[in-house]
Amino acid sequence: MTQHTRSANWQDHASAILSGFLGDWLEHRASPLAVDLQFFHRGLPLCLNQPEADQPERTLVLMIHGLTELESIWDYPDQPGVNYGTLLAQLLGATPLCLRYNSGRAIYRNGEALSEALDTLTRHWPVPVERLILVGHSMGGLIIRSACHAATQAGHSWTALVDSCVYLGSPHEGSWLAQAAHSAAGVMNRQSRDYLKAVGDVLDLRSEGIRNLSRGEVLAEQRGMPPLLPGARHFAISGLLVNNPEHPVNTLFGDALVLDASARGTHQPGWQLTATACIPGINHIRLTHHDKVYQQLKEWLR
Amino acid sequence: MNRTSEQSIQWWLGVVDISATAVAAGSLRLEQVHHAIADESFNVLARIPVIRPVSESVRVVHHAISGLSYRTVAGIADTVHKLSGLQSKTLARISAESPKA
Repeated sequence: MTQHTRSANWQDHASAILSGFLGDWLEHRASPLAVDLQFFHRGLPLCLNQPEADQPERTLVLMIHGLTELESIWDYPDQPGVNYGTLLAQLLGATPLCLRYNSGRAIYRNGEALSEALDTLTRHWPVPVERLILVGHSMGGLIIRSACHAATQAGHSWTALVDSCVYLGSPHEGSWLAQAAHSAAGVMNRQSRDYLKAVGDVLDLRSEGIRNLSRGEVLAEQRGMPPLLPGARHFAISGLLVNNPEHPVNTLFGDALVLDASARGTHQPGWQLTATACIPGINHIRLTHHDKVYQQLKEWLR
Repeated sequence: MNRTSEQSIQWWLGVVDISATAVAAGSLRLEQVHHAIADESFNVLARIPVIRPVSESVRVVHHAISGLSYRTVAGIADTVHKLSGLQSKTLARISAESPKA
């Protein structure tokens, strides 16, 4: 297997973190710290109009990271270049791709940008694309849904190629931490004391992307939830902090950031997920590189 | 793909930009917070008739000196921010004018 030829450096990581918290503001200022939307293949950036891949396949596996993350989050610890994408690519005869994007932008804007990018990529891929597998972690899962909706609205043909969408710890009904930040900012801003309002001001600095996470918003305006992309299979995997699923810590904090019910979209009307899995003992970040998750993906996608 | 030296310089100018903006905006907000907290004490002193005339004078002097300090910091940060913006634009112009290898 070809290994990554380049790993993200500390400046990339710093930009990803800053973009997560202030990404819309950085983009507005045209700051060089803002992360650009970019596809990567085995660690190298991909030109969408002229994509070059060693042995381009007709099946593409696209991995989409979450808030403040980079594509390197997918790599197994101590195994740079080895992730669900590369393992699934070997299993399915696919080409693994990763997306990098500014996670502080509004989710619907990243969804629209991803939709356009996938349209360009699939039209210029060296061989006809027959199957698309989209795997999103946390916010990445919401961006998949947003991109599918945007593509349907724009009439892009790549949606017909989507075989499976996998959501790993995606807060379809919001993240309790984002909701807590939203509530705390509201309470502080209603205080008469200036020094308490200042705390509210700091909390209000959070990016549009983080605000969207409080309710799992994937559209420009909150107009209900768009349906899942018809014709594709949809899978959700959630994690829990403690091994005992009934433990109160799991009830309160889920995988640390997202509750099990939100990751499954339990209260979404009309949702029909193909399958769901809950893996106790795996926290939000480890969902991106854990053998139990890969075994589940393998079972569903082979 | 490694960052080119120009990208790296632009990245650092971005750090200067965000830091200077944070210091400029933060120092003005901190001035408000500082005065609000100080006013809690001055308001108590103002209720004591014997102390009120002195405390009110001290409040004016305190607010003036602290305000001057915070605004000086904000002004310096604003200047640094403007200089980094100029530097960034100059670099971008030089890069655009230089022949491609």
